[in-house]
Order: sequence, then C-alpha cells, then structure tokens
Amino acid sequence: MRGRQLDEVYRKPNVAERAWQSRADYLYVMPAIVVMLVVIAYPVYYTIELSFFKTPPSLQLKDKIFIGFDNYTTILGQASFWKVTVNTLIWTFFSTLFAFVLGLGAALALHREFVGRAFLRAILLIPWVVSAVAASYVWKWMYHSDFGAIGALMVQLGVTDQPINFIDNTTTALPSLIVINVWKEFSFAMIMLMAGLQTVPEQLLRAAKVDGANAWQRFWHVTFPHLAGVSTVTILLLLVTNFNSFIIPWLTTGGGPAGATDIWITQIYQLAFGRQRWGVAAAYSVLLFLIMMTLGYFYVRALSRGDDKREVA
Amino acid sequence: MSTLTASQDRAVARTSFDGWRWGGRLFLVFLVGFTVMPMAWMLITSLKTGFAAMQYPPQWWPTEPTLDNYWRLLDPRGQVGQDFLRYFGNSVWVSVATTVLAVVVAVPAAYAFSRFRFPGRTFLFFAVLLRNMFPAVIFLVPLFILMRWLGLVNTHGSLILTYLTFGLPLAIWLLKGFYDNIPIQLEQAARIDGATRFQAFFYIVMPLSTPGIIATSIYSFIGAWNEYIYAYTFLTRHDQMTLPVGIQRFFSENATDWPGLMAATFLMSVPVVVLFLVLQRYFVRALAEGAVKH
Repeated sequence: MRGRQLDEVYRKPNVAERAWQSRADYLYVMPAIVVMLVVIAYPVYYTIELSFFKTPPSLQLKDKIFIGFDNYTTILGQASFWKVTVNTLIWTFFSTLFAFVLGLGAALALHREFVGRAFLRAILLIPWVVSAVAASYVWKWMYHSDFGAIGALMVQLGVTDQPINFIDNTTTALPSLIVINVWKEFSFAMIMLMAGLQTVPEQLLRAAKVDGANAWQRFWHVTFPHLAGVSTVTILLLLVTNFNSFIIPWLTTGGGPAGATDIWITQIYQLAFGRQRWGVAAAYSVLLFLIMMTLGYFYVRALSRGDDKREVA
Repeated sequence: MSTLTASQDRAVARTSFDGWRWGGRLFLVFLVGFTVMPMAWMLITSLKTGFAAMQYPPQWWPTEPTLDNYWRLLDPRGQVGQDFLRYFGNSVWVSVATTVLAVVVAVPAAYAFSRFRFPGRTFLFFAVLLRNMFPAVIFLVPLFILMRWLGLVNTHGSLILTYLTFGLPLAIWLLKGFYDNIPIQLEQAARIDGATRFQAFFYIVMPLSTPGIIATSIYSFIGAWNEYIYAYTFLTRHDQMTLPVGIQRFFSENATDWPGLMAATFLMSVPVVVLFLVLQRYFVRALAEGAVKH
C-alpha cells in the first residue's frame, strides 16, 4: 500500500508535465523558433502547396487551379531536365571533392607552428569572406576571352597559342565555374579541419612515430580517424552548399552557353522569376527539398553522434 | 652497431620527414598563389584606365596607375558616386540591424540549448540546424508572397527578417559550443550567493561568452553583407538596393568598364575582409569549439 503511494508521488512526470515545469526555458528559445516558423515552416508548406497548382503568371493566388502531379510530370518530361541534373551532379561532386582536398591539405600544412603561419591562414581565409558576387565578377574578368589575365598568362607561358575562351565554350564553361567555386569555399573546409586537427592527441602521434610509423602511416592510422567526424560534417555542408549554389553560375554565365552551366537552382530561378511558371518551379523546389532532407538526415546523425558522446562524458 | 642503426633511423626519419615538409610548403605556395591571384588582379585592374585595361597582352602592372575609379565611386557629387554611396549605406544598415537582432535572438536560444533539458530540446535544436540545408531558392516565391502580404517588398525590413533566419542556425550552434564550455558551477555559485537565474546568466555567463558573441556577430554581418538572391528578388527600387545588387546594376549598365567594376568590388570587399581579419581568431576559435565538440 505504502509502496504504491510512493510510486504515485515519485512517478516520472509525463511529457506535458515536464514541458509545463520547464515552461520558463521555452522563453529563451521562443524568439528563435518564432522567426524560424514564420520564415521557414510557412514557406516550406507553401512551396509544397503551390507545386500542386497551376498559378497564373501574375501570382494571383485566388486564381490558382489544382492540377495534381502535373507539374512534376512536366519536369520529368522536359528534355533539359536530365542535362541539368547531370550538370548539377558534376558541379556538386567536383566542387566538394576539390574544396575538401585543398582544405585538408591546407589544414595539415598549417597545423605545424612556423613563422608567418597566422598570416598565411588569414590570407587563405579571405576568399570565404569575400562575397560571391565580387568573386564572380573578378573571375569573369580573369576569364575574359580577349583581355583576360588567365588566357594571356597561358599564352605567355607557352601553354596555348591562342587565349582560351573559358566561359563561352560549352566544354570548358562548367570546369571553369567549378574553379571559381573551389576558390571560394576551400577555406571553409580548411577551418573546419584545422579545428578537427586540434583534437588529435599529440602523444598518440609521438607514440606512432616511436613505433616506426612513417608520415603517411601516422596520417592514415592516427590523424585521419580522428578527423572522420568533422570530415563528415564538412563534406555534407559542402554538398548542400554546392547543390544550392546560385550566384556564381548566375552572374558569370547565366546558365549558358547553351545550358552548359545550367544547374537545378538556376533552372528553378529561371522557371519562377524568368518565365513565371510558379507551379513547375515549386515542384522542382520540392524535389530539391527532398534531396536536401536526405542529406540533412545524415547531417543530424553525424552531429548527434558527437552530441551523445559529449553528454555521456 | 646499435648506434649505427639509430643514426640511420634518424637519418631516414629526417629525410622522409623533410620530404613531407617540403611537399607541404610547395602546396602552400601553390594555394596562396591561387588565393591571391584574383584579389591581386582585382586591385591591379582597379588602378587602370578603361583604355589600359582593354589591351592584349595585358599590362601586368599599370603603366599609369590612377585612383580615378575610386574617386568616381566615392564622389558624392556625381551620379555614380551617389548611387554607390547609397548602396554602401544600405548595406551597412541592413547588415548591422541583422547582426544586432541575430545576437539578441541567438544568445538566449543557445544558452537554453546548452543548459536546460526541456522536452523537445534535441528536436528543436536539430530543427534549427536543418535550416542550413534549405536552399534559398525554395523560399523565394513563398517569402516574396509573404513580404508582399506584409507590405515589406522594397523595404529593408524584408531583407533583415530573411537574413536573420539564415544567420541564426550557425549563430546558435557556435554559441552553444561556447556555453557548453563554461562550467555550470560558476552560475551555481552565483545562484547560491543570491543571484536570480537571469542575473547569473547576464553577469557571469554573458561576459565569459563575449568571444562567442563576437564570432556570431562577424558571421551574421558577413552573411548579410554578401547576400544577393533575396536582395535581388525583393528590391526593385534603386534607392533601396544593397551593394551586391547595386554592383550588378553597375555592371549591366557599364558592361565594359572593368576597372570601375573592380574598384567597386574592391570597396565592397574591404569592410568584411578587414572586420574578419581583425576578429578572425574569435571566429576560428568558436568554430573549433562548435564544430568539434558536437
């Protein structure tokens, strides 16, 4: 009898009760959540809704007509869809790969203490801070077919006879844009990985050295496993950023020439604000959203693994 | 015998070590070249006249360097200068307002995520982080409709509200990393001495997290300063434009004035680069705590 009463008194409070008990805590997060709801949840809901309707070019919402999945079939039926998708995959994959590799190299090279290290790190971080608009115009100017610095430099060094027409040419346009993108974001990978390198225990590296491991073995068996978590997060964030890039292709080539640099985002923007095909653009956005949520799932998993570890410790 | 092996070992260790070291140095030289080249070319071009820029082969260093392009952009009497200075002012206002709001909203949220264990904490935290995953373009049409409904199209309010959301997730994440590292005993001691929870937070935790707040502010400021898509979509009136959109307008109206454009991009880059270089150690530290500890 007595035991039962105690059980009742010390019963674990249910979710609603705990939520009520910690009601003051919610005040702290409320402003952030409200802003997020207004500017995130509402648009996501709205995009999904629009994707099932045909909305007039004027965006008069009262005149929209329900058409089911027609917008989705329109997209999949477009001749350009697969080309744009392949471009997007090439763009995303190679941008991420090169940004990560350069970032990793820079982080390793800057890990050791030497004179001028802080200065070099600062220099290497600048591209990440400079706006993508500035980066696009500067590189567009360097790629200029007649007066571009890169073309002229290659001729003077004897690499080619004629300046290459980098961004007006269907074969070189996409790789040239990837170079700009890598320039812009390798520093992000660099800082993330530099932070990660600080967690590698120095004693472990020294022990490995004493045991006769060479530099490569030390990197591969000691350093790299410690970087795995940060690397996963970095690569996922790079993939997302690259999949969602807009400014560089938009301002350098506008998706051209002949669609050679058209990627999903530029395509969606064109459909919405260029051709006022709001429904098709919304359907495209929903597909993109699904892809991002898949990546987001892995991102949260990678992050929460670290969070659990910390809470146990 | 054993001494011989030891010295051989050392010699081997030294040479292989040096090989990696030299490889690293070469790589750094290449990387610095790659990084600096566009910025150097921007600066060099901005010192040329329009005529000098349009030459083949290019003048690697201008034969007659001139600051005319800068004077033109910064001269409040000319049309170009008036526009540029207005865009600059708009950018400053939008970025500062976004930054202040982001800190005000992010600090309590990050503190709560770090300290309190309320139901739904994990879910909300990851929901906030997932904002990073959404492409801006998804939000363009609905936000455009929302802003039209709120009467905010062609106002800076539309930009500040929007920028606030994409600065927030990383701001909260960075700050949470900071709060996680501040020992909770400090607050407990203050509470025992009679401070309220808010006082403990305000007088003990806030000052200790100043580096985190600085890092958050830099991040928000740079994000807002550089943002292009929303500004391009929400603003159509020239006098409201921020620098990235204003520069695009400059380019479309003077498509061959490369030196002028380079001077404008240089002036646009100066505030964020200077701010970042002065305060970068805070930022790198905050990212280290946030990125690694979670």
